[in-house]
Amino acid sequence: MLEELWRWSGPFLQGSLVILLVFLVSLVLTVIWGLIGASAKLSNNRVARGAANAYTVIFRGTPEFLVLLLLYFGSAITLTALAKLLWPETRFVDLSPFWAGSIAISLIVGAAATETFRGAFLGVDQGQVEAGRALGLRRFQVFMLIRLPQMWRLALPSFGNHLNSLVKDTALISVIGLQEIMFTADMAASTNSMPFAMYFTVALIYLAFTTVVTAVIRRLERRANHFMLAAR
Amino acid sequence: MNISTKWLFSALLGATVNLATAHAGELRVGIECTSFPFNYRDANGNYAGYDVDVANEIGQRLGDKVEFVCQKWDGMIPALLANKFDLVVASMGITEERQKKIDFSRPYRISVGRFVAPTGAKLALFKPDGTLDPEAFKSIKVGLQRSTTYDDWLKAKMPNASVMRYDTVEALFLDIKAGRVDTIMTNPMKAHDAFLSKPDGAGFGFVGPEISDDKLFGAGAGVGLRKGNEALLAKIDKAIAGMTDDGSLDRFSKKYFPFPIYPRDWKPATTN
Repeated sequence: MLEELWRWSGPFLQGSLVILLVFLVSLVLTVIWGLIGASAKLSNNRVARGAANAYTVIFRGTPEFLVLLLLYFGSAITLTALAKLLWPETRFVDLSPFWAGSIAISLIVGAAATETFRGAFLGVDQGQVEAGRALGLRRFQVFMLIRLPQMWRLALPSFGNHLNSLVKDTALISVIGLQEIMFTADMAASTNSMPFAMYFTVALIYLAFTTVVTAVIRRLERRANHFMLAAR
Repeated sequence: MNISTKWLFSALLGATVNLATAHAGELRVGIECTSFPFNYRDANGNYAGYDVDVANEIGQRLGDKVEFVCQKWDGMIPALLANKFDLVVASMGITEERQKKIDFSRPYRISVGRFVAPTGAKLALFKPDGTLDPEAFKSIKVGLQRSTTYDDWLKAKMPNASVMRYDTVEALFLDIKAGRVDTIMTNPMKAHDAFLSKPDGAGFGFVGPEISDDKLFGAGAGVGLRKGNEALLAKIDKAIAGMTDDGSLDRFSKKYFPFPIYPRDWKPATTN
């Protein structure tokens, strides 16, 4: 068994790097969707509020698996049709499994992050914002210097949960053909008939991954709260 | 560059909107990559198996370069229709249901099913006349791979059977070993290679005869392609006919099985 694990260690390592890349890309996208969504929900613009509500309703209310398949297969058909309108000789336009998968899981987790960020923004005392404006800071400066650093502290605990969902959602992407560790385990089990050992390896890799993410979040929380502790 | 670094690079380089269209002279072939010994990858990333040999030989005879794409079974037809690849050479059974969506070449592999169960349980699934015994199915659980022709077959023959559906055939073997299902219905070639001939399969054996059903399992497995590619279809049919006649398919069969797995007396359906 160890011999088989050693034989497949290369593909498992490459697969781990793939999920790490998917995680990092979708983490950045999740934060972007979450901040845009939360800002839209808290804005005075009715269209922005409606769009953000539609976004969270759709992506929190549909199975992750479905979103992934729709984005991957749907994008190929839609993009090809669009490209054919512009350049009739085009045969095929495609969104790669990497990007289709990263965008899909970031949209899903981003919808949850939207609500987390919205709640956290509301948790920042309105007096802080007014004080910033009174000091002559522009709206953008108030956002970056006052609202964002303070909402972050409130958002971190549930955002840590979102990150763990993000890690685990990377396992779904094998369905659209990205060769991450689930897919590696499928391939290995297919030839060596040791599915248990192979899937157990996948479980251990994911556990290691989520353990690191949880530890990082704990450090960030301590950091975000350190001035609160000092004041106590 | 070693093969595994290439995997990573392909993941990264593929990480852009792929504006490059499918080139003429290149056939992108969809396979599962997890279906030993029909289509699989070894630890070094090499593609191998009966389907892979057939696809490579077709490419050679058509003068096209073959590029394989790994695709999970559930998404195989959607991916073909979405132009993720040009051909499916993944032991896909030719069925009426599938022919509504895609075209098939003539078969290059037989399609049959067979039950596997612990030999000690002495399951009698069939009546003496060779039909399924409804009594036997009242108290047992049958394991099947989801979206396969075996699933359709059992649904048609034994609608009341209690069935557990799995994504991979490996999960089937895992759960019959664990005793979570009493019998599984699957491809006998696959069962022989991946389970019965291995230490894990000790104490398990085939139950009943090989089951063929032209209406559901079809005449066998063929090459799948999008509708409206008649010229390509004709070329592939010609290549497979040639491979049947000159013994190439026999040679590929014997690489993986002690018996031939290609249709030896296939005749095109007569049309009038």
